[in-house]
Amino acid sequence: MKKRKKQLRNRMIIAAAFALLLVLIAILAPVIAPNDPYKTSAALIRKAPSAAYLFGTDNLGRCVLSRVLIGARTTIASTFFLVAISFAVGILIGMMCGYFGGIIDGLLMRLADLMLAFPQMVVAIAVAGILGGGLGGAMLALGITMWTSFARLARSHTLAIKNEPYIMAAKLQGKNSFQILFTHIFPNILEPVLVNALTQIGTTMIGISGLSFLGLGVVAPQAEWGSMISEARAYIQIAPWAVLFPAAATVLTITVFNYLGDAVMEYRDAD
Amino acid sequence: MEQTAAPLLCGKGLNKTYKSNGRVVRPLQDVDFALYPGEVLGIVGESGSGKSTLFKVVCGMEKPDSGHLYYQGKEYTGDGPEKTGRFLQMIFQDAYGSFDPRMTMERSLREGSDANRDEIVRIIGEVGLDSELLGRRPRNLSGGQCQRMSIARALLSHATVLLCDEITSALDVTTQAQVVRLLNGLREIENVSILFVSHDLALVSMICDRVMVLKGGVVMESGPTDEVIHNPQNDYTRKLLNSVIAVEKM
Repeated sequence: MKKRKKQLRNRMIIAAAFALLLVLIAILAPVIAPNDPYKTSAALIRKAPSAAYLFGTDNLGRCVLSRVLIGARTTIASTFFLVAISFAVGILIGMMCGYFGGIIDGLLMRLADLMLAFPQMVVAIAVAGILGGGLGGAMLALGITMWTSFARLARSHTLAIKNEPYIMAAKLQGKNSFQILFTHIFPNILEPVLVNALTQIGTTMIGISGLSFLGLGVVAPQAEWGSMISEARAYIQIAPWAVLFPAAATVLTITVFNYLGDAVMEYRDAD
Repeated sequence: MEQTAAPLLCGKGLNKTYKSNGRVVRPLQDVDFALYPGEVLGIVGESGSGKSTLFKVVCGMEKPDSGHLYYQGKEYTGDGPEKTGRFLQMIFQDAYGSFDPRMTMERSLREGSDANRDEIVRIIGEVGLDSELLGRRPRNLSGGQCQRMSIARALLSHATVLLCDEITSALDVTTQAQVVRLLNGLREIENVSILFVSHDLALVSMICDRVMVLKGGVVMESGPTDEVIHNPQNDYTRKLLNSVIAVEKM
């Protein structure tokens, strides 16, 4: 049992190291990018990968490597921001619903059911379309449905602990409902909801890149992996590298964060 | 225990009804009780007799459908636990579960108390624990230590009434005896009154001044412990006592 736990811990550490590396690359992108990601050059249009341009250049002669690195910033930062906001909103709503119950719980949970009844991407496309594109619109479109999974999870964990003796003891110690929610319930449900947030990173990244690919997210010339793939697919047969590298970056990043989410969940469940 | 003084805590005509799976359950039916200063009142009865509901109603976790609760002669019916906690505290059956698993003992003890560290250390000593345990979390304490910490928490909040809900049932025999000795000592030192729920009639006869027997939410019999144990007037009390004797003979 201990050996298994140790294996799972090592797996989690490796996944976390890779994820951290990706985040560091995103943070340091302006420093490590070899060229200006937005500088166009008629002389460098669709150049194949070479020593000077490791990932080649795109249709406007821009360095694909630099754009992939800067794109990491956009994709990873927007994903983290969206997951964090959905997490905060969802956990707050879930805790309130689980703890207080009643009409508000009924209304919010039926709203969550309604949101979950539609495929997330379909709702996101519709909302992003109405909002008219842009990163903010894409994030809002995804966030509209995303809070529900956090809320439902937070609610179920709150329901499971709200009648624990230590909550009753806290009430008898004179704590009011909000003090109990934030000093006892929040710390005790944080871990499972946080693990869920980790598993949501990959899905959210697909969502943001997907909306950008459809022209409903990041708008050119801003570098973002989805929009880069969308721009380059028109000439994929002439310059496949312009699609290949941002696609590979997307797949790699999603795989790493999904793996991290799974590793943390398995490690936690092994207790 | 002389009952010349006015009751410290009392309940009159307490009724409580639930609906469970479409069925109406009445865990409390016209229950009257009185707890006098410094007294230990035992509440016995089989599972489902209404003991836990009575505790929830007394400490304000649940409101009675009808009936009245008084503390020092003042009615507090309908007050929530954040108010009743000023004069009563509960010691739970699940000692581990009564402490937030993420908090150290010191943080848990400080929650409802403005006591300084010296005061906490003094109370910890009074319940027979070392102050070194204050830095630990509940999982790093034994069941007996955790139960003593619960008692310390109750004392730190200056409660004059302790509601003890099967507090020894999860402890081994030696620790049970230690906790009971502790409670007996504390009622003299701190002058606390205790409502003591237990299945263990031997334990009840050791610690309680008076006993109240509950069945299906109805008080079957109540009186001084010796009288109820040795000369029960009610058939149900006799059956309850006989079942204990039968189990002991097995």
